[in-house]
Amino acid sequence: MFNHKTKNNPVHMLIMEQINDVENCLIQFESFIRASSAQDVSFDSLNTLAKGIIEAEAVADVSLRKMIDSLSGSSFLTATRQDLISIATGCDAVANKCENYAKMSVVQNFVFPDEYNEDLLRIVSISRKQFDVLRKSISLLFSDFGGLLKDHSILDEIRKYETEIDKIEESLYERIFKMDISLPEKMQMSDFADKIADISDIIENLADKIQIMLVTRKA
Amino acid sequence: MIYLLLFAGLFMGWSLGTNDAANAFGTAVATNVVKYRTAVIIIALLVVAGAFIGGSNNIDKVAELSTSNEVIASESQVSEAIENNTVETLRLKTAIKAAIIFTCAGLTVFIMSYLKFPVSANQSITGAIIGWGLFYADYANPEILAINLPQIGKFASTWILNPLGAGLISYILVWIFHKFVEEKFSSLSHYDKIVKTGYLFAGAFASYSIGTNSSANVTALYYDAAFNKTGVAANLLTDARVAATIGGVAIALGVLTYSKRVMMTVGSSIADISQIDGFLVIIAMALTVVIMGKWMGIPVSTSQAVVGAVLGAGLTRGKENVHLGVFKNIAIAWVSSPTVAGLLAYIVALATQKYFA
Repeated sequence: MFNHKTKNNPVHMLIMEQINDVENCLIQFESFIRASSAQDVSFDSLNTLAKGIIEAEAVADVSLRKMIDSLSGSSFLTATRQDLISIATGCDAVANKCENYAKMSVVQNFVFPDEYNEDLLRIVSISRKQFDVLRKSISLLFSDFGGLLKDHSILDEIRKYETEIDKIEESLYERIFKMDISLPEKMQMSDFADKIADISDIIENLADKIQIMLVTRKA
Repeated sequence: MIYLLLFAGLFMGWSLGTNDAANAFGTAVATNVVKYRTAVIIIALLVVAGAFIGGSNNIDKVAELSTSNEVIASESQVSEAIENNTVETLRLKTAIKAAIIFTCAGLTVFIMSYLKFPVSANQSITGAIIGWGLFYADYANPEILAINLPQIGKFASTWILNPLGAGLISYILVWIFHKFVEEKFSSLSHYDKIVKTGYLFAGAFASYSIGTNSSANVTALYYDAAFNKTGVAANLLTDARVAATIGGVAIALGVLTYSKRVMMTVGSSIADISQIDGFLVIIAMALTVVIMGKWMGIPVSTSQAVVGAVLGAGLTRGKENVHLGVFKNIAIAWVSSPTVAGLLAYIVALATQKYFA
């Protein structure tokens, strides 16, 4: 009864494939932020990197659709299908956020002043760690669901990362609004900071969704 | 023509089917775990199977209660009718009495539902039988008293024992599942398969238990328990198994034709318990109904058992998860359904005494 085979579950494979594609987008986004923090950055090179993110996002979109299609032929219950779609679209939102930042940054010819780069890179790096924990949690849904039902403290790690990012984000805003620049410039800068920090909020929301999924399935 | 009177019972069976089906598969259908069409086919088949295999025991017991309460003719009354050559009259009067009991029970269900009070059809039928007996049965006779008092006591004790038993079984099942089974789920798809299989098994078992339990309430009043001794049919049905099966078919028809609305309503209202708890509660309900049927020998309320089982499941997470306020409404149904039906039957018995006395 309990030696149920989980390997080769097409939905599991496709959702992990989609998560890898989103992660690839996040890796390229980190490169973009790193490049834009370089002293002598050219907008041509940023444009090339932005195109890479856009392409990675398109690949993640295709994976998302494949995963959703695979659910129709699966034995998952309706409620589980809804939950899995919600998680997959949530992951896709991470890729969308990266794409949106890159596009807007190129269109507006925007780069942060040097003094912010260290914090921005820290936010992206923590977001990547956070996404990695999310990936492990999602994988556990398919490989050790009982264990995750019993102990889902792994999701708390995601929340800790988000709190860490929140602190960095707050200090960023404070510094931005203390700068001696015009209000529209401050608004533009805080909007970009917001876009980067949003990635971590999306990942935290996904952790919440997984927890709700677990709580509603616990006997 | 006399067989038209059977329709009163069959109609009661049909309405039991429209309601009781919700207890077997309501949650599963409302949460899309099992398709409505699959659910009704399983219920219909298993209710008839339950009635055919295990319904006759309850038919005998309900017939016994009805005989001592002067609804069904006793062996001595049949013998007297044979001597006086009035068996056909006795048969007609008995069938009419059965129809009256069902009308009183049906009216109770209608009035209580109209007043938006919770109601139990099973309890209304037993209440009406006892109400009729309170008018006609000679309670001054120690023999009658010796038969009826324990039966009434048994009936009232099920109000407590039925939900209590279901609560206890449900508590144990949920606790075992939580403690030993839950962490062994290998994946989400494994969990889903267990839930689906669990609901199908629980629903099928519950349907079977409804068949064994409730079929007696549909046709026992038309059953001649003395036929084997007298050899003369003093009522419409003379075979307990056939009587139970006809009852089962009537319930199955209710399930097949008009159960969707109730199933969705009941299912949605209790769907806030977890999916695992959902099918364990149904298994607990079915087990209780079968055990109570065997032990007490009278049909019990499946709704009472469900309520007890839901509370039992909630208790595994602590007292704070049990909303005792729910008991208020349920208690009203448990006491008021048989009381109102009994009162109605008593009034009809009073009004028709010239014909039946």
